[in-house]
Amino acid sequence: MKKDTLAYTVIFTAISAFIFVSLLSLAFGATKGKVEENNKITEARAYLTAAGIPLTEEMDVQSEFASAYPNFDETKSFQETSINGETILVGPFQGNGLWGSISGVLGLTTDFERIVGFEIITHVETPGLGGRIDEAWFKEQFRGEFVGEGLIVRHGGSGGDSDSENGEVDGITGASRTSDSIQEIINRQIINMKSAYGGTTNE
Amino acid sequence: MNDDSPSKILIDNVWHNNPIFIQILGICSTLAVTNNMTNTLIMTLGVMFVAAFTNVTVSLLKNFIPRKVRMILQTLIISFYVIIVDILLRAYLPEISKALGPYVGLIITNCIIMGRAEAFAQSHGPLISAWDGITSGLGYLWVLMVIAFVRELMGFGTLFGIAVLPESFTTWTIMVMAPSAFFLLGSVLWFAKAMILKQERGK
Repeated sequence: MKKDTLAYTVIFTAISAFIFVSLLSLAFGATKGKVEENNKITEARAYLTAAGIPLTEEMDVQSEFASAYPNFDETKSFQETSINGETILVGPFQGNGLWGSISGVLGLTTDFERIVGFEIITHVETPGLGGRIDEAWFKEQFRGEFVGEGLIVRHGGSGGDSDSENGEVDGITGASRTSDSIQEIINRQIINMKSAYGGTTNE
Repeated sequence: MNDDSPSKILIDNVWHNNPIFIQILGICSTLAVTNNMTNTLIMTLGVMFVAAFTNVTVSLLKNFIPRKVRMILQTLIISFYVIIVDILLRAYLPEISKALGPYVGLIITNCIIMGRAEAFAQSHGPLISAWDGITSGLGYLWVLMVIAFVRELMGFGTLFGIAVLPESFTTWTIMVMAPSAFFLLGSVLWFAKAMILKQERGK
């Protein structure tokens, strides 16, 4: 058969596309369970970290998660857990970053004065720039931060902000837009959780 | 066919005809990911893998592919392998997958892969094409790793995320941002060209 005829070209292209796409869907199907499991573990880790529970290598994340959140109900806008007798509210958030949505969880004290922990689950920020929001030094700045008057993600400065009373954390150099997004997402999340919590206690 | 001996291909792709500093291909990823050695390594290994398999596939199919749709089929093959890499990373290396984010998908647009498929695999056997893909990837890998080494060291004071410079070291913010990759790439180009010219004069 001549290779340059229209029929050959169309048939060949269609068959090739069909074969490659079939192989892809096979690979996708084969790894689906594994990917879902990874996502579950990432989420469980995030909920634990946001509540201030330190994670260790040998820890079984899933069972730890089950014991910290016995009443986990994903339809609710926040979960409650108790650490050393103190109730902590942990809620999932989602907001716009520079390239796409940023999702994660935020842990707050019940008076909404302090952040207990902040953890990112997914983001598509620029690797090495905005993508650094997922690095430990950035997220650790939020731990115990006073946010009674809102949170400011600062521009300029470097090395992180260790003062947890000033309501400020250091932004990421070269990623001002992502830093601004985080500021907005967190402040909005605090308000959202406050009103959701107020609603449940009928205050 | 002395021109196509494996050792000649290796030296060509890694030095005399290096994809980065001679062919100036794959520059956008050079600018983007090289402020962190871990990300750079995984990304370049991904490129190496995709280049090798794309070359084999194109080489095997070269007698059946109609000329008119040659390039679109090469793109299809490249995308196929890139998505495979993405799926594998997501299932087995979720942390890396998270860190690289959109850059895995961007391997598709790396001109080195299509360049080699078009320039080499179209006219050579599958085995030697695989070797050409691997060595092209290697030529890309080492140059990017050199740039990443300087950028991560100066920009963050770390190598592979491990702090190597003292706390007192003032990090160079410019090294974290894209412009520094231009300067460093320019320097690499200059240096490599000067060496090659010197070698030629010496003959």
